[in-house]
Amino acid sequence: MLSSPLATEIVNGLFFSLVGGLIYGLYFSLIGLGLNLIFGVMRIVNLAHGDFLMLGAFAAYFAFEFLSASPIVSALFVFALFALLAFPLYYALVPRLLTARDPEMLSIILFFGLSQVIQALATISFGTSEHSIPGRALAVGPMAILGQSFPKTWVISAGVSAVAVVGIYLYLYRTRIGYLTRAVMVHREEAVSTGIDVHRVSAIAFGIGLGLAAVAGVFAPFMLNVITPAMGVDVTITSFTVIVIGSLGNPLGTVLGGILYGVSYMVMQRYLSSWANLLPYLVLIAVLLVRPSGLLGRQVRRA
Amino acid sequence: MFRRSLLGLSLVALLGFGSALAAEAPSEIKLGTLYASSGTFASISMPVHLGLKLWMDQKNAEGGVFVRAFNKKIPLKMVEYDDQSNTATAATLYNQLITQDKVDVLISDSGSVLTSVAVPIARDHKMLLIDQTGTGAKFFSPDNPYIVLIADPVSSIWPKPLADFLTHDGPGLGIKRVAMIYATNDFTGTQAAAVRKFVTEAKAGVELVYDEGIPTETSNYTVYINKIQSANPDAVIHLGYATNDIAFLRSLADSGAQFKMLFAIYPGLETELLEKNVGAKGLEHVFTYVPSSELEYKPDFGMTLTEYKDAWHKKYPDGKVEFGFNSVAGYTTGLVLEKALGETASLDQLDLRKAFDAVSGKLKTIDGLFEIDATGAQIGSLTPLGQLVPDGKGSIKFVSIYPHDTATGKPVYPAP
Repeated sequence: MLSSPLATEIVNGLFFSLVGGLIYGLYFSLIGLGLNLIFGVMRIVNLAHGDFLMLGAFAAYFAFEFLSASPIVSALFVFALFALLAFPLYYALVPRLLTARDPEMLSIILFFGLSQVIQALATISFGTSEHSIPGRALAVGPMAILGQSFPKTWVISAGVSAVAVVGIYLYLYRTRIGYLTRAVMVHREEAVSTGIDVHRVSAIAFGIGLGLAAVAGVFAPFMLNVITPAMGVDVTITSFTVIVIGSLGNPLGTVLGGILYGVSYMVMQRYLSSWANLLPYLVLIAVLLVRPSGLLGRQVRRA
Repeated sequence: MFRRSLLGLSLVALLGFGSALAAEAPSEIKLGTLYASSGTFASISMPVHLGLKLWMDQKNAEGGVFVRAFNKKIPLKMVEYDDQSNTATAATLYNQLITQDKVDVLISDSGSVLTSVAVPIARDHKMLLIDQTGTGAKFFSPDNPYIVLIADPVSSIWPKPLADFLTHDGPGLGIKRVAMIYATNDFTGTQAAAVRKFVTEAKAGVELVYDEGIPTETSNYTVYINKIQSANPDAVIHLGYATNDIAFLRSLADSGAQFKMLFAIYPGLETELLEKNVGAKGLEHVFTYVPSSELEYKPDFGMTLTEYKDAWHKKYPDGKVEFGFNSVAGYTTGLVLEKALGETASLDQLDLRKAFDAVSGKLKTIDGLFEIDATGAQIGSLTPLGQLVPDGKGSIKFVSIYPHDTATGKPVYPAP
């Protein structure tokens, strides 16, 4: 029975979706990583996260159009650029926000407004049409992985995501500023009382968060295929799904959330395509019902 | 007797005065419309909207449009709102145009998704909906006179040249197994149903070996391409909006998969946009509709295609909105509306509908023949099936394939 062509096709199809979902999900880990780092350190909800990603995508688009810049080079450039731009933005917005009675709620309103402003300015500047970077700018053709064929652009994007995840791990667990960052994540007030410069630590985390969003944007044309000024809203919603599945405030939980999102999405595309866009949210509800703090929620409290 | 006569005369005088009031020309005609400056449908909405505005600005520069009911030219005023590609927002704004702004003419946003919410609202308010490009077949029914489709053929007949090619010429070329993937919205869902019906009814030995509807928001096609490959088709039909086509064609190029024949809608309708995003190489040998922005219809009303293209690039020189099929559609809406206003007995909505019926079959614009059936659905010029082939200069050009009487070349099958 198992050796019949139909059974072989079903097994092959499932395997393709699982491996593809893993690769696709790694990219979504990158998308959520910056958002979760910012939430973990500052407890502010950056609703403009997807819009920073969009700006990173357009930066890479123009870098390719006018300078024929490789997306890898663009990724390094936009990370540095957005991380630097994040500092004045942080000091202009966040310290005052954190003095409010309910900074989380206020941050939602503030960053929603920022999102609208960025989207409107981007629409005026870039127009409403779809844009993208040719696949050949990154790689041409497919690549075989575990006997299945996937676009090289996906594999490279997933590889960059993996590097970013490892980088964040090393930053958090192998550097002094990383230790301080984790201290602020665990208890901000206690960190202040021990003499940690929480604003400096937070500003760096904010910079890394926006930098990672911009890097994710550089690879958006290859993973999401089109970029538009309005894409940010959907990206922000997906990012939240990913980080809530993994665990809010735990950047490394984002990896698990991203992979679960990617795998469930692609398995659903194979077997029940009409519901594909809904399934990740059903997974979100299911995870929250079983583990309200997300899949890695407990580890956060122990951090 | 005298008092009765006096009463009768007074009534006649009052009626006459009433008629005079009714015939008093308004200072302006309010066109109410929506557009999407952002979101999924921005790329098909903005060209239509800007095309309509171009027409309106031209008319206002000439003093307005001639309205037969008042025997004079009346300036046009556009009341426009941004629905941001959101159907809920669009529904609210359509209501606002009718009940608050009290527009004289209601014009829907582009595409079936954003038109779908306008159809019941217009009908409930007994307001004629000028449907620019919403081609979903279920919008049109014999008991609803409050809709007229202007610029595109209704989706239930639009893909007939494609289906006829597959069933008439396909078997001779070796096309027997067809795969169809479509976005589940009124526009492409109806086209998919029509292809299914035409192919099945033809009994030409062509079968659909893969037939799947997917969410319109889909941007990742890798799994679907893998599934289609497994079905081993001789031809693949992808029916989606511009964003879907871009994502599908890019995924296809990145995955290295190749099909002997591939049909998609927007490489023909928005060629500039698709070429910008997919590249000429990615569009080579793709089958598509040959739109009015490529066919040189000889219009008997309005500008020629060349004149219109020049006017478009002069008015919108920044190139942020591409010239294509949809930009022609918006301008066509204006032209057909202008003709109808020149025919209507009043601005009453049913009189306006009668005026469109009167124009039907007698008006040829750069979009071809305007002709509607009893339900208001557009049945004029069908877009022929064509194929994009290399033009030898690094770009692509259209070759009309089917019907044979309009063909300018033979299909390249299988694609090299």
